[in-house]
This record gives sequence, structure tokens and C-alpha cells, in this order.
Amino acid sequence: MRSERARHNKIIFSGTVGAGKSTAIAALSDIPPVATEAVASDETGLIKKTTTVAMDYGVLNLPGGEKVMLYGTPGQERFNFMWEILSEGGIGLVLLINNANPDPLADLQGYLHAFKDFISKTAVAIGVTHMDRAEAPDLDAYRTRLASLGHQPPPAVFRVDARSRDDVAMLVKALLYTLNPGLIDA
Amino acid sequence: MTRHSNPPGQPLTALYLLHVGSMDARLIGLSTERHWKHQVKLASALNQAEVVLVDCDRPGIEAAVEQLAAYPRTGVVYYAFHPKDHAQRFPNRVILGKPLNLEALPAILAKAAADAAHVIAAPPPRFVAPPPAPVVVEEPGPASLGHGLQTEDERDLCGAMDDLPATPGQPLPDRLFFNPDEYIIGHIHRAVEQAANTGRPHLVAGLPRLIGVRATPVPACITDFRDNQLRPLSMTQLPLTTARIVSASTLPQGSGNEIVHSSEDLLWNVAAWAARGRLPAGADPYRPVRLRAWPNCTKVFMSPHAMRIAALWTRTWASPVEIAARLGIAQRYVFSVYASARFAGLLDTSLPPRPVAPAAPARQFSAPEDPTIQTATTAPTAGKASPEPETKQTQQRPSILSRILRKLLNAV
Repeated sequence: MRSERARHNKIIFSGTVGAGKSTAIAALSDIPPVATEAVASDETGLIKKTTTVAMDYGVLNLPGGEKVMLYGTPGQERFNFMWEILSEGGIGLVLLINNANPDPLADLQGYLHAFKDFISKTAVAIGVTHMDRAEAPDLDAYRTRLASLGHQPPPAVFRVDARSRDDVAMLVKALLYTLNPGLIDA
Repeated sequence: MTRHSNPPGQPLTALYLLHVGSMDARLIGLSTERHWKHQVKLASALNQAEVVLVDCDRPGIEAAVEQLAAYPRTGVVYYAFHPKDHAQRFPNRVILGKPLNLEALPAILAKAAADAAHVIAAPPPRFVAPPPAPVVVEEPGPASLGHGLQTEDERDLCGAMDDLPATPGQPLPDRLFFNPDEYIIGHIHRAVEQAANTGRPHLVAGLPRLIGVRATPVPACITDFRDNQLRPLSMTQLPLTTARIVSASTLPQGSGNEIVHSSEDLLWNVAAWAARGRLPAGADPYRPVRLRAWPNCTKVFMSPHAMRIAALWTRTWASPVEIAARLGIAQRYVFSVYASARFAGLLDTSLPPRPVAPAAPARQFSAPEDPTIQTATTAPTAGKASPEPETKQTQQRPSILSRILRKLLNAV
């Protein structure tokens, strides 16, 4: 029997520290997002003052009272034991990669590996953030890396501003259409 | 189009845009300002016009035509996607096809103005109601085209071309194709290619504003055209001599308002605006191709259904006609994506590894009926889990996915 968590509709947001997971959930959520943030005490502190240590939580309210939960995983890898728990029963994964990190393509590879089982049952859409600060690698480099990792058909990879509701919504739409290109909004 | 073909001093044709969409108005305004300044001037009121332009495809044409009754000596030039359909309504009138041939238009306007000026007491042009159209029962379409396109914009940007037959055999109509060399897309595409081949910046010279291309550190186009200027320019047929590609050691300083686009994004947009639902010359609408990647949907122009098309076309080899049939949408939307993808370098035209099944009958593509959707995944094949345990989950998905989608479409 699937757990209580698994019966909820949820979309998982994951990605590197500072990629904008909390911001993206805040941009899309219909409620003020709940965040379990703490003052960053490790190397994360060099990137931002606070960081998510358990999860971010937002909600999309659908007509009829139904809810879709938006879960953000903590970015630090020492919390990766939570990733599997959070993603259980999820609709799909929105993966955010900070392009200003030293090796964003390695970050991409690491997260895809960590969520390999989840993605194999669902789908992933990838948002690359902070491309205004770091032009390279460009989207084609991401696509090339995805192809080399055997991701076929290629997942959607967009340049994203995590503060933009339009951009985040576009990522989620790509995730939905990846699951079913025949979807119509009816 | 011959620039400045009328010598200065020659009387200009006073044109009034009586019933024209905003996109066409901008396009014609730009042409008047840039190419026709010794041939055509825009009149600010109907009573100052020698000739008017009327778009037959826009709603409200009856009221527009009624206004002309008081101006029998004003020429009228109509235009439509299907001119023959309107010949009965406007007998003995010039009805041009869309998209307008801007090279020929000034002469046509001048002739219509001259012809009308000789009319002494011609009966006023009255609107003749068209015969009742046969009732067509349409299948219910999507509640929204999504991505914020209004009907008028959609017609301007994707045209209104009828679908081709599902199987090849009949000659393809000329109006299905556009020649990229006659549009700015051809110039920009060549500049991007030359910059990539040489590693040096290139300019599209001869335009009123900067369009520059650099290959490093990532391919990018720098322009101080804003989108609302670039769009009509992209739709305009340019004489070959208007623009030329030049190599530069560095890109010149512009107005300070330059926008940097990734080359791929700019090529996608400019191609879509030139295509207007057509295919680039030489494309085969029945040949299987596929998208090698999704476009950058957060930054590029998304024609109706573009995301659905991208989702399906990245996972399967199929012809444009087949994609339209599978999704149950008009082919012009697929042609628009095809044109953009080709110039953006996202189209894979190498032959598929195995024969492709014939086009499915036109129907809405839906997950429960198509097993490829339920098992589709972006994960590496080696790590793919059996879809069996997820049967219950995927069977429940379409409704919740659709509801989330509706929520997001309303949100954007």
C-alpha cells in the first residue's frame, strides 16, 4: 500500500544550492511558501546567508479544492537521504541548476543520477538559472551532456529566472507535456 | 522591391490603412518609412486617402466597406489568405494574397488610386453578403491556444493555410513555402554560420539598427531592435541588396540599448515571424524529421501548440503532416515550429533508422490511447524501470495533469 504522502499530487523541485528552488516555489505557489531555512554554517554560507535544511513547501490550488504540492528538496548533498522520501509518488521533477557554479554540468549529472529511479518512472524538466551572470555553458552544452548520459528523448532544458512565475510555470508545463504531449487544458 | 524607384518630387500615393491588423500596420509603416518613402505616404484619415487597404480576413469588414461608400474616387486594395473566396463579394476589385508582396505593393496601390480617380460616378462599393457557408461540425478544440496568443495575432503569425492531404501525391501549393533569402532570417542565419565558421563577429549591415553576431564565448546575437520592431522587419520581404553580411574585428557600439540574445533564440523567433505558418523552400512536409532538443521556451516565441509539438517531436521521427495528425491540430502550427527549428539548428533531418509507420488518422493524441506516452521517459534506457508498477498512477494522470495545465495556462 502506498503511503499517505504518495497519494498526494506533488511536483518535486530539486537542484544545487543557490539555484533558486525556494524562489521558484514562492513564484508559483498560491500560498506563502513554508520553508525550513537556517543560517548557512558550511560552505553554502559563501553563496547565500540562509539555506533550506529540510524542505520548501508550496501549493497550487486547483479548481474544485484539489491541491498540488510543490516540494523543494534541500540543496546540500548531506541531506540527500530526504530526496527519495520527498519524491515518492511525485508527478515529476523540476531540476534547477545554477549556471554560475564552478561545474554546473557535473551538478546536472549528479542530480540526474540521484533521481535516476524517480525520473525513469516520471519525467524531468531542467531550468538553468543565473545565465545572466555566467553565459557558459550554454543550453547546447547541457543538451550534449544529457545525450551523452543517454537521456533520450531529450528532456526540456530552459534558461530560467526563478523569480519569474512565467518561467517557472513554463518549466512545469514542459514537464506535463513530456508526460503527455496530447494534453489539452480541458 | 526597388528602393526609391520613384524619383524625388514624384507624387506619392496617399494610403490609408482602413481595416488592417496591428501587425500588418507596423509592417507597412516600416516599409513606408524605410523603402517606399518616395512612393507611398500614410494618410491619417480616410478623406485624405487616394487608396485604402482592407484585410478581408479580419472581423468587422462589413462596417469598413460601408465607410467607403462616401468615397467612390478612393481606390481600394483588398488582401486575404484566400483571395478567390472573396472575389464574389468584391467584384472587379484587386484582391491580393497573403502575405503581401511588398515589392509589388506600391505599384498596385498607385494603379488602384489612379483607376479610382478616373471614376466619375461609379456606384459605391457595397458589401455583398457572402453565400452561407456550409455548416462544418468541428471537433471540440482546446479551450485555449495557450501562451497568450490572441486570435488576430495568431492569424498574423501562423497564417490561415488549409491543411495538406494526409498523404503525398498532389502538387504542393507555392504559398506553402517561403524563400528565406527574401527575408531577414536568411541574412541572420548566414551571419551566424559565418561567425561560427570563422570565429569572428559578423554584422548584418544596411539595416537601420544594429544586428551583430558573435561566436564566442557562446553564440549570441546583439541587436538594438526591440521585439516590436524586429517582428515586422522579420515579416517583410527585403530586397537582396538591402542587407549584407560583413566580418568585423569587434562589434560596433550601438545605441546603448543593445539586447543580447542567444543566436538560437533569435533565429527561432525571426524564422517564425518570417514563416507565418509556412515551410522554408525545399522542405518536404511528408518527410520524417525530429527535434534534437526542445527550444528555449522561456525566451522564444511560442506559436499555438508549440510545446505539445516539441514534446512529441523530440521523442519520435515523424513528418510535419504526421505530427499535426497525431496531435489533431492544424498543420500550419507544425510548419511554424519546423521553420523555427530548422534555422535554430534544432531540426534533425538525417534519415530515421527504421521505417516509420504511416500517419495516424487525425484525432486527438491522448495518453490513455497511446502506449508510447505512458512508457515515455527521459531517463537513460539502461536505468529505466518497468512501467508495470506505475500503471495505476499513469491511468490516473491525464485528468490531474490537465487540471494543473489549465491552472498554469491561466496563470501565465
